Amino acid sequence: MIESIILWFLAILMAPFFSGIILKVKAFFGGKKGPPLLINYYTLLKLLKKGSVYSTSTTIVFKLGPVISLCTAITVLMFLPIAGCNPIFSFNGDILFVLYIMGLGRFFTIAAAMDTASPFEGMGAAREAYFPIICEAATFMILIFFYRLTGELQLSSYFTGNNTIAMWNTAGAPLLFIVLSFFIILLTENSRVPVDDPATHLELTMIHEVMVLDHSGPDLGLIELGSFCKLFFYSTIISRLILPFNLGNQGLNYGLFIVGLVIVYIAIGVIESVIARFRMDKVPQFVLTSFALAFFATIITLEFIK
Amino acid sequence: MSQFFVSILLILSGGLFSLVLVQQAKLSKIAAVFLVGAGCFWGASDAVIKLMQSVGAAKSFTYLNAFSLDFQIDGLSAFFLTVIFSISLIAAVYSFHYMEHEKNAIKIAVNYFFFCILIISMALVVTAANIITFMLCWEIMSLSSFFLVIYNHHSSENRKAGYLYFIFSHIGAMFIFTAFGIVYGYTGSFGFGAMDSLPDTAKILVFIFSFIGFGSKAGVFPFHVWLPYAHPAAPSHISAVMSGVMIKIGIYGIIKVYILLNFHTPIFGNIVLVAGVVSGVLGIVYALGQHDLKRLLAYSSVENIGIILIGFGIGMIGVSSQQPLMAVLGFTGGFLHILNHSIFKSLLFMGAGIAVQKTGTRSIDALGGLLKNMKITGTTVIIGSLAICGLPPFNGFVGEFFIYIGAFKGVALDTSAFAMSLFAIVSLAVIGGLALACFTKVIGVVFQGEPRTKAAVAADEKGPTMKISILILAGACILIGLFPGAIIWMPIKAVSALGLEYGSVPLEPFGQMTGNISLAAMVLLVSFLIVVGIRWFYYRGKIIRKSGTWGCGFTQPTVKMQYTGSSYASFILDFFRPAAPLEESHPEITGRFPLKTYYRSHVNDIAEIYMNKIIVTPVLFLFDKLRWIQHGDIHLYIGYILLAIILLLLFFI
Repeated sequence: MIESIILWFLAILMAPFFSGIILKVKAFFGGKKGPPLLINYYTLLKLLKKGSVYSTSTTIVFKLGPVISLCTAITVLMFLPIAGCNPIFSFNGDILFVLYIMGLGRFFTIAAAMDTASPFEGMGAAREAYFPIICEAATFMILIFFYRLTGELQLSSYFTGNNTIAMWNTAGAPLLFIVLSFFIILLTENSRVPVDDPATHLELTMIHEVMVLDHSGPDLGLIELGSFCKLFFYSTIISRLILPFNLGNQGLNYGLFIVGLVIVYIAIGVIESVIARFRMDKVPQFVLTSFALAFFATIITLEFIK
Repeated sequence: MSQFFVSILLILSGGLFSLVLVQQAKLSKIAAVFLVGAGCFWGASDAVIKLMQSVGAAKSFTYLNAFSLDFQIDGLSAFFLTVIFSISLIAAVYSFHYMEHEKNAIKIAVNYFFFCILIISMALVVTAANIITFMLCWEIMSLSSFFLVIYNHHSSENRKAGYLYFIFSHIGAMFIFTAFGIVYGYTGSFGFGAMDSLPDTAKILVFIFSFIGFGSKAGVFPFHVWLPYAHPAAPSHISAVMSGVMIKIGIYGIIKVYILLNFHTPIFGNIVLVAGVVSGVLGIVYALGQHDLKRLLAYSSVENIGIILIGFGIGMIGVSSQQPLMAVLGFTGGFLHILNHSIFKSLLFMGAGIAVQKTGTRSIDALGGLLKNMKITGTTVIIGSLAICGLPPFNGFVGEFFIYIGAFKGVALDTSAFAMSLFAIVSLAVIGGLALACFTKVIGVVFQGEPRTKAAVAADEKGPTMKISILILAGACILIGLFPGAIIWMPIKAVSALGLEYGSVPLEPFGQMTGNISLAAMVLLVSFLIVVGIRWFYYRGKIIRKSGTWGCGFTQPTVKMQYTGSSYASFILDFFRPAAPLEESHPEITGRFPLKTYYRSHVNDIAEIYMNKIIVTPVLFLFDKLRWIQHGDIHLYIGYILLAIILLLLFFI
């Protein structure tokens, strides 16, 4: 329990660092030196020191947006098995709760964006409401796959101890599909290239960034920290999926886990460097790919497990 | 049973007093609200006690041996009675100030009278214990709600809505009559008890006919066409009762017939589940495309009926594939969603009712920024929206949680049940996402941003009883979401009343699950408070400035530049274009300085299009050809009657 709480705390603390890796990778591809690895901490500290400007159009919902998006992100991490250890809380069906909590975060991000009466933010909100619908279908398809394998509906029964390696042993080939499918979901849910571009400030090309245009100061800091935590959540799962080994020593396991995380973040960085953002009407097709992959993986397991 | 009839009499007297005292408008209203309120309170507490103690009651009235009216309360009816009486109670309280703007005392009195009749007939339908009683009360229910729909009969739109509703409820009733006719044909008795002795094929027929009949009342796709017309036409407290409670009586009919047939074939489960999925997904897609606030809510009722049917479908599949836990989870989820939906949908209708009444428009794109002047209404509608999206920690999540868990149990089964469960889970996920999009549209466009018209600027929220009602409902949404353990016994008692041959329902897993939901909700609340604390810490003593919204350098923003509800929904509607064809009209833009222009869009309901094409047009064509039969000559009409009798005699004797 104590270990889980420490891990949870470390996860929130380390999440900005890992996001810095992406920037470094992109700088490398651009032939630049890039910002320091700790850039995100500097940004957060800078934002927290500042005051805020609020639009006269906004209401209390605008202020609730950042709070709830961070609060849902850190709550979700409490249910996440980090490096194969038990999460702080775990029960049958916790994954449903986790997914719907993320929905709560999204609701308030959208509501806060609509609160500003800005046409740009409205457009971002409309897209933010659209793509996750397909994502959710894909996520639930993956859950069905996991349920076929383990018979449980609980994050800890997929990602703790030897559970992940056991899944690879029963259905290795379809699980490859799932990793890919989940990676697509990661890119979509966290507004990365090729779905969204977190770096541009051309309002019309963005989804998530445009929704937070009007937030400033500590509020923006909370949002940023929340999105680092959210990316960390997805990356942790993929890290565990691609490196499910148990090295016998807890220290080595943590090391392996961090190696996995770095691989995931580098992969995100590489993708962001080598491909451009898709045209908006291509994005649904891209996201639907993840659903199709998960669906085929599940159909294949029908034969594996008789 | 006498307690029940006392409450019925109280409500009836409320309706009669409102008519008798019509000369003193104020007194008439007070008498009606007070008596209806008292009757509903009495009835609700009686139903809750009956449900809690699992005691039944029955009463029979026989008239000259011709037929008998039998009433019976069991767990199932007690559950529905609780919903009916408690929501009606709140609707009655709400109506007190809501009806204030109506100047015509007769209209108010008539409205209360039919409102009372509607409550009574709904209560009698769920307690009816034989076919005749059932159909009698069913018809009274349909007719009284018809009169409520045409309350504003001066508008031709409302008359059309009433007409459509009248036709649909009677065609629906015809299907139910057919189903019961088959039963009577085989058993020769009006009792419900004889239904499980039917042969299997007859059972399937009875189920399908009654599913169509009850489904058209419940608003199951494609029999929902009347619903988005009729529900918005009625006054808001009536819309709340119709959407929150009356359509559930259709669900009651489906589940009642299911138990009475006592036939556990996978076909029933599959029909119900597929109907649920289609209603759920299309209902919310159409809701997203609406420009009329109350119509949007009406379509969202179609979606929620879909979720309830998905739950029952999972339950029925669980029964037919011998999975007690799956069955119980599915049914419990369905019943819980009935209860939850009645709470948040009436909350949303009442909240929307205040907004509509104060601004005088139902058009979403004409509103905006209401949250600033209507704090209580806005906040409660946000709570209702969160609940209807199924987000924790609100009540909508709990029901869906059980349905999900039940559906996942089905994933472990063989092919047919597996495919169905997969279908259910993925659609529930999609429905959840769409509902979120739909209700962020409502919140974002109606309650947030800047007012788009003058009407929206001047809105206030006077009327204490309206505010009290929505506050109570919002409180219920939060309480059930945080402590589902406190009410989980209600759906479970209803499930045990289904008599699914498993003995008593296993309570333990439910206690555990509701405990987990409470725990998780508490964790969420604590982390919310922590983050609020952090925010407070970093904002101490800081300079907070107010300024206009950042327009990316543009300095002359107007309210018309805001994203409208139509544009907000357009991305998603485009994805669902085959199922929701969008009809747009706007003049071509010509010249360097285009003149005033317009843009109209309408999302077509494919059920409506095809029903028009396949049924209405041919039927009209046929009747048009038969017009010569109706010539108005009374002698020939008598001739028709004679001819019909002679023909019948030839055939049957």
